[in-house]
Amino acid sequence: MTRKKKFISEAENSIIWWFLPVVILLTFFYLYPLFEVFRLSFTNTSFIEPEYSYTIRSYIRIFTSSSFYFTLKITVIYVAACIVGQLGIGQAIALLLDQGEKRRLRGTVLTRTIVLMGWVMPGVVTGIIWNMFLSSSPYGFVNYIIRSLGFKPISFLHSSIFSLVTIIIANIWRGTAFSMILQYAGLKQIPQQLYEAAKVDGASSLQQYFYITLPQLRNVIFINLVLITVGTFNTFEMILSLTGGGPGISTEVLALRIYSAAFKSFDLSGGAGYAVILFAINLIMALTYFRLISKED
Amino acid sequence: MRRSKLNLKNLLIYFSYGIIIICFGGALIAVLSLSLKTPAQIFSYPPKLIPNPIAWANYLKVFQQSKMPIFLYNSIKIVFFTTLGVLLVSITAAYGFSRFDFKQKRVASFGILAFQMISPLIVVIPLYRYFNQLNLINSHFATILTLIAIQIPFTTWLLKGFFDSIPREIDDYARIDGCSRFQTLIRIILPLSAPGIAAAVIFNSLQSWGNFIIPFVLLEDTNLYPVSVGIYQFQTVQEEITTHLLAAGSIISIAPVVLIFIFLQRYIVNLLIQGSVKG
Repeated sequence: MTRKKKFISEAENSIIWWFLPVVILLTFFYLYPLFEVFRLSFTNTSFIEPEYSYTIRSYIRIFTSSSFYFTLKITVIYVAACIVGQLGIGQAIALLLDQGEKRRLRGTVLTRTIVLMGWVMPGVVTGIIWNMFLSSSPYGFVNYIIRSLGFKPISFLHSSIFSLVTIIIANIWRGTAFSMILQYAGLKQIPQQLYEAAKVDGASSLQQYFYITLPQLRNVIFINLVLITVGTFNTFEMILSLTGGGPGISTEVLALRIYSAAFKSFDLSGGAGYAVILFAINLIMALTYFRLISKED
Repeated sequence: MRRSKLNLKNLLIYFSYGIIIICFGGALIAVLSLSLKTPAQIFSYPPKLIPNPIAWANYLKVFQQSKMPIFLYNSIKIVFFTTLGVLLVSITAAYGFSRFDFKQKRVASFGILAFQMISPLIVVIPLYRYFNQLNLINSHFATILTLIAIQIPFTTWLLKGFFDSIPREIDDYARIDGCSRFQTLIRIILPLSAPGIAAAVIFNSLQSWGNFIIPFVLLEDTNLYPVSVGIYQFQTVQEEITTHLLAAGSIISIAPVVLIFIFLQRYIVNLLIQGSVKG
């Protein structure tokens, strides 16, 4: 064996080389920036003045500003509404598609494809499309339908209450697909004998749903819940292009707040502080997710 | 046979399909319709779903008068190199997880998935700061490297699952025949996990096509924008009078992913299922 060959054969048996690229990339682009974001959040730095000293003033500023609590409030409303909507509608569609498939109805794949379309599109385009769809201009289709039904048009994008509803609807439109497909997969794993036995015992379809389907889907629903929560907390570009966080700050959720603090107000430490808060939420969700999938194994 | 299918329950399901298709397809159809209108048609009320005449020229205009061709070129470049990079790095890591036994393997493999749940928005502030110092703002290279890092965790996890399903005895036979680990990976494991590699390619292409925040923050020169950032910039500078062009631009920017998706639907659906339920 030549020296070079020997070196290669030793190298490939050593585990370090296989993980080196991943470790380097994740360290440079994730771990170190994470550390930096923590550090920056304890400084008074900004993009304009690079000189800084250590302080906890940015956190004091965050926690004493009333707009932060407003942001938290609308973020929680937004996330909660999306969870309910995505889980509920996702399950309804999954059940329908499952039934349709069992009955070999036409249009099942078409329906599934159209629902999934929202998931596959870039979030920023979703925002742009819904912005046009819900517009108050003559081309806004939704308002056209509302007017045709004899109601007053709704200002989806310029009223503070309706704009929150708008981002919720658009995100449910986008996120239901994922929730639906997971629950659809879950439904397929339920043993058919359970339903047959229940039928023999004379259980109604409602009873079958509550005593078989729902308990069997329990794990899938919990995993879904965590993934929807983390995904919704992290929504950024869809809201940016849909309402831009406005009117005012009425749809400025936590993720948008990070961006507007750091890159619009050039308040680097403030932005880092918000980022740390979002990180804490992400971490809690990740840990919950692991506990759930460890249980599954 | 046909008549028996038309019972009440089936009708109800069909009716629900109709509602679902209207609710989920409505926005897309409205934008498609908008993209084929002239400015005069946009502002005529009531809006017509099928414009007459159909303004196909809008699409030509977007290609000729905006930077859309440049955006598309940039996107394709970013998607290609990101996907390639992610694959190279993830394949080796997935091999490590699948074929070596070590302490804390479980913790490490969960740990790598944790990255997937952390929003890139959190790390983008320090990234911007030090790329600025390194003069790497406006660099596709830095953007691609960052995207690779973001997409590695899921792909590693996905490929590990595929590699795990190939029995280790096959490696042993290859070893007896004189194959090194690297040769075994290239000649045996990779061909056997072709569906996994294909799934990884699709997933990474969709994700890097749609990623917004990284190029949005790291690229400032319009000529370097990918489609996702380009279309947003298009939106911020447009006026009501060019809504039809924004609509056409939106359709162009989703067309590649939507087409890929329609053709490879079954694959993607399985990928989704594998990625999340099975962990």
